[in-house]
Amino acid sequence: MRYWLAALICLVASAASAAIPTVLTPFDTKALVAPPGKGVRIVALWSLDCAYCEENLAALLAFQRSHADVELIFVATDPVSERAALEARLKAASLDAVPSRAYADATPERINFLIDPTWGGETPRTLAIKADGTRKAMSGALDAGRIAKLVD
Amino acid sequence: MRHFFALVFASLLASGANLAHADNGMAGMAMGHEAPLGFDAAFDAAGHLWVVDTVGEHVRARRSDDMGRSFAMSTIVNPTGEPIYAEGENRPKIALGPEGELYVSWSQPRKLPWTGFVRFSRSLDGGAHFDAPMTVHADRAEITHRFDSLAVDGKGNVIVAWIDKRDVEAAKASGKPYLGAATYYSWSSDRGATFAPERKIVDESCECCRIALARAPDGTIDAFFRAIYGDNIRDHAFANLPVGESMPKVERATFTQWHIEGCPHHGPSLAIDAAGTRHAVWFSAADGKATIWYGQLHPGDKPSHLATVAAAGASHADIAVDGKHVWIAYHQVSAKGLELMLRESSDGGTNFTEARAIAHVDGGSGWPKLLLWRHRAFVGWNPDGQFRLVPTELL
Repeated sequence: MRYWLAALICLVASAASAAIPTVLTPFDTKALVAPPGKGVRIVALWSLDCAYCEENLAALLAFQRSHADVELIFVATDPVSERAALEARLKAASLDAVPSRAYADATPERINFLIDPTWGGETPRTLAIKADGTRKAMSGALDAGRIAKLVD
Repeated sequence: MRHFFALVFASLLASGANLAHADNGMAGMAMGHEAPLGFDAAFDAAGHLWVVDTVGEHVRARRSDDMGRSFAMSTIVNPTGEPIYAEGENRPKIALGPEGELYVSWSQPRKLPWTGFVRFSRSLDGGAHFDAPMTVHADRAEITHRFDSLAVDGKGNVIVAWIDKRDVEAAKASGKPYLGAATYYSWSSDRGATFAPERKIVDESCECCRIALARAPDGTIDAFFRAIYGDNIRDHAFANLPVGESMPKVERATFTQWHIEGCPHHGPSLAIDAAGTRHAVWFSAADGKATIWYGQLHPGDKPSHLATVAAAGASHADIAVDGKHVWIAYHQVSAKGLELMLRESSDGGTNFTEARAIAHVDGGSGWPKLLLWRHRAFVGWNPDGQFRLVPTELL
């Protein structure tokens, strides 16, 4: 009995510490792209099938570490039912400390459109939304120079 | 104490089915997903409609005798389950042989990210049974062999093309730069019993877009696929895929100059008319403008009859041709959901009608598939996973 309890507590603890992506429904997109209270919010869109995405997420995380006014959110365009694969991929790349979401829909098109109507769905895609309401987007893996341009 | 236990169980349940799926979590798409939407469809010579999709770890082939309203036959292609890529640019494929053979291919995720094997099965008894699936390529490294495409040529040879990363691995091992992945193909000249050793079409092509295959007037199969030019310019290449000794001739066929160090997730589509005109549609977001283009391909040179089919919010166009009649179907998304759109040309692609919506779904669908039957075009679609055949005629 004591063993059971210990095992359960361990399981719960490990599930809570890992960055399990939370669901992003079409109704959640408005808040996701709403201007932040201060600074800039970077929404980094990625997918399991994209071999360039982890390097983009890593570059954005490095940028955030040297810019205190940057809020960073990772959003996977894969359905949230893939959360185990998403979580494993983020963990393997040491990217699991960043808040993380995954799409509620089985196909990404509608949520893609609600997040950014000018976006064709290519990944990685990075959105920078500023407190003054302006926003910029870039596709492809970004380096430090392009990230600086994006949030400029 | 009991209360504490209830809490622990509740939080375990809340943390979700992900724990149950943890064993196959690294393998990638489609597993643990209840209703993957990827499908393919084809008419046989008698007008039966064949549809393939996935149910869990199984590929399912169904036959409809009433234009998709109901299914008279449903057969599991692989009774022994295996992981299957069944969404987006990956989906099971079906092609028919001249003697009623049914050929099915799909990509099987392996344990590591982006890895896969191209799988193939056939039925020689009209879909009552399928042979045990086989792996098409001789190379068995745990790397990318996926995004399979399937076609049958005029002589009944079965052609399979796919994206393959063996050359990436070789370059990595010798410290050489390599962009994207290679594109490979193989063929079977014995009704899918065996496949020839695979052959490279080209190095440094895009690693995440489906390959379009179409039959030319001489019966041979041509490929149109996203390739990489220079520093991550992702345009498209055209190649013939000869069966036998000769090597494919690969030439650049689109010149949008879209630069992206990333994955477009949009493969092109190709249809060749009886005169050999190569009608094509492809996606580009050059200069930040998401666009579906139509053009007639002249490999090695710029396409002619270039036209914008659709812009922002449009995706996954398919094209079909019958004589001078050209159809383009695609998805147009809005906040209200997904519209299945159609544009038509009756003059061989010189002019197209305005786009019109022919079906709608609030949720999602697999990519639209144009199908021709007796000079009429239909669009195979599966809104929310329910397959239907959408007529293209104005009523």
